[in-house]
Amino acid sequence: MTAYIFRRTFFDSFIFAYLSMVLLVATYQPSPEEMLLLGRNFILFVFAMIIGAVISAGLNKSSKARFHTLGESLFEPAYKKATKNEVSWYKTVSGWQLVIFLSVTFVVGINVTRFSLTELLNEDGFAGAVRLFKGLFSPNFEILPKAVLNIIETIFMAFMATTLAIPFAFVLSFFCARNIMKGPVAYGIYMSLRTFLNFTRAIEALIWAIIFSVWVGIGPFAGMLALMIHSVASLAKQYSEMVETVSEGPIEGIQSTGATKLQTVWFAIVPQVILPYISFTVYRWDINVRMATIIGLVGGGGIGTMLIQYQGQAMWSEVGCIILVIAIVVWAMDQASSVIREALK
Amino acid sequence: MSDPILSIKNLVKTYPNGVQALKGVSFDVKRGEFLVIIGLSGSGKSTLLRCINRLHDPTSGEIYFEGKDIARAQGEEVRSLRKKVGMIFQHFNLIPRYSVLSNVLMGRLGKIGSLKSIFGFFSTDDKADAHKYLKLVGIAEKEKIRADQLSGGQQQRVAIARALTQGPAILLADEPVASLDPATCHTVMDYLKKVNQELGITVICNLHFLSLVRQYATRVIALKAGQIVYEGVPQDITEEWFEKIYGQGTKEVHIN
Repeated sequence: MTAYIFRRTFFDSFIFAYLSMVLLVATYQPSPEEMLLLGRNFILFVFAMIIGAVISAGLNKSSKARFHTLGESLFEPAYKKATKNEVSWYKTVSGWQLVIFLSVTFVVGINVTRFSLTELLNEDGFAGAVRLFKGLFSPNFEILPKAVLNIIETIFMAFMATTLAIPFAFVLSFFCARNIMKGPVAYGIYMSLRTFLNFTRAIEALIWAIIFSVWVGIGPFAGMLALMIHSVASLAKQYSEMVETVSEGPIEGIQSTGATKLQTVWFAIVPQVILPYISFTVYRWDINVRMATIIGLVGGGGIGTMLIQYQGQAMWSEVGCIILVIAIVVWAMDQASSVIREALK
Repeated sequence: MSDPILSIKNLVKTYPNGVQALKGVSFDVKRGEFLVIIGLSGSGKSTLLRCINRLHDPTSGEIYFEGKDIARAQGEEVRSLRKKVGMIFQHFNLIPRYSVLSNVLMGRLGKIGSLKSIFGFFSTDDKADAHKYLKLVGIAEKEKIRADQLSGGQQQRVAIARALTQGPAILLADEPVASLDPATCHTVMDYLKKVNQELGITVICNLHFLSLVRQYATRVIALKAGQIVYEGVPQDITEEWFEKIYGQGTKEVHIN
């Protein structure tokens, strides 16, 4: 109950503060130096949030649903949603709140991304793009043998990253499943592992590749390690979600024989999750091949590193050949993995 | 052997959501009995059985099994209790992808080490026992077939064989025939009777149907809203008792 009030209030006051800040910038036109005063601007934002919270509380006190805010209609518990009458959106506060929020954000977005039709239709720029595309569409196949060797390196990077990630992810997945980790100590382990893995996953493989290219030097080993870290975190999450959906019956059946915790996991849970596990793993390999290409751009080795070298020299015909090779391999991997996953069902 | 094998005193179970499933239940079970527990869904039958082998933790009260209070046992104690208490379930709870024989061998998990069992090192003794009990429930010829390929009644017989492979002193049966058709019902109940009479294993069985109760039970306990409302021999259950247990205006249904 209190969690819902908190979410509602935070949501509404954040929107209110955001809109107030936009209004302030638009009317007051602060100088670039003033825009950089993070401390002062943060205090202003918090102040606006407090006002927003008061308004939100006031509106939601009303017994009439049409005065309720967007936060309320978004986060209110299901029993309240169920008893609500249908009202046209333009007769409600939450409807206007949403419309104003979205249209203001769109206008601000145009400014922030410096959206410009003149740049897009600029003659010189356009001629450059045409030159680039001409190169891309007349690939130079002289470098094909080298590109093939490099993409093989990329595929093996992805394969090793996936294979080495499996044992770690497999073990972690059981410690990250809510239905297994019962009791206060187990819950503590579960929470800290989950947080750790979420944090690891939040760091893109690209960032890991930069870290490892400094640690072990530029090349496929760095790329492989980066992909592996990311795969452990992703697979552990997917695996553990599978563990959370297993049926309780076999678990009770095995427990009632006097089995240990390890035996219960091995005999009651593993047989239920093994096929989805394989399916996820094949899919992860497929994803890793695609990611390995990108990781190569920052020094992770393989086809990506080759691509960035030719791109740096604006050799577009060579880049065209490499892109073609990547496209064919990614397409083939995608097909193969979906056929295998279909067969595993 | 006049000592009761199981003695339950003032057993209370309150679930975390506040539901009081058992409100102070006390009774004894003698060795070799075929005790049937009847009552509506939600009367606490399943909870009671699950407290006995500690799949659920009782809130208060005592459970004496072979003279020892196991109501608050932990870890290793719980496992050694479960080794002596077999259980079969309404939905059989076999491992669907495993063969019939592998499922029956699961009954030995408590007796062999974790690592040994994970690598599949079951002794010839274990396998001989598994064969013996598969034969006892008349399903020996199916031992290599995957468990999920069997019919419901056959799966329940495999579950009985699994429980027997534990070498239990008591067999708990939680609505063993509730998801079976009437004909198969009797087959499974007959095997439970055989286990009770030939192997001398005490059986505690949750049931819905009074006709089955009269046919198989040596004693009956009726639960209603977490309390015992009747205790006695099945022949004494009258229409009046039946109404009290199952509510006014109910009629007994015969399955045959």
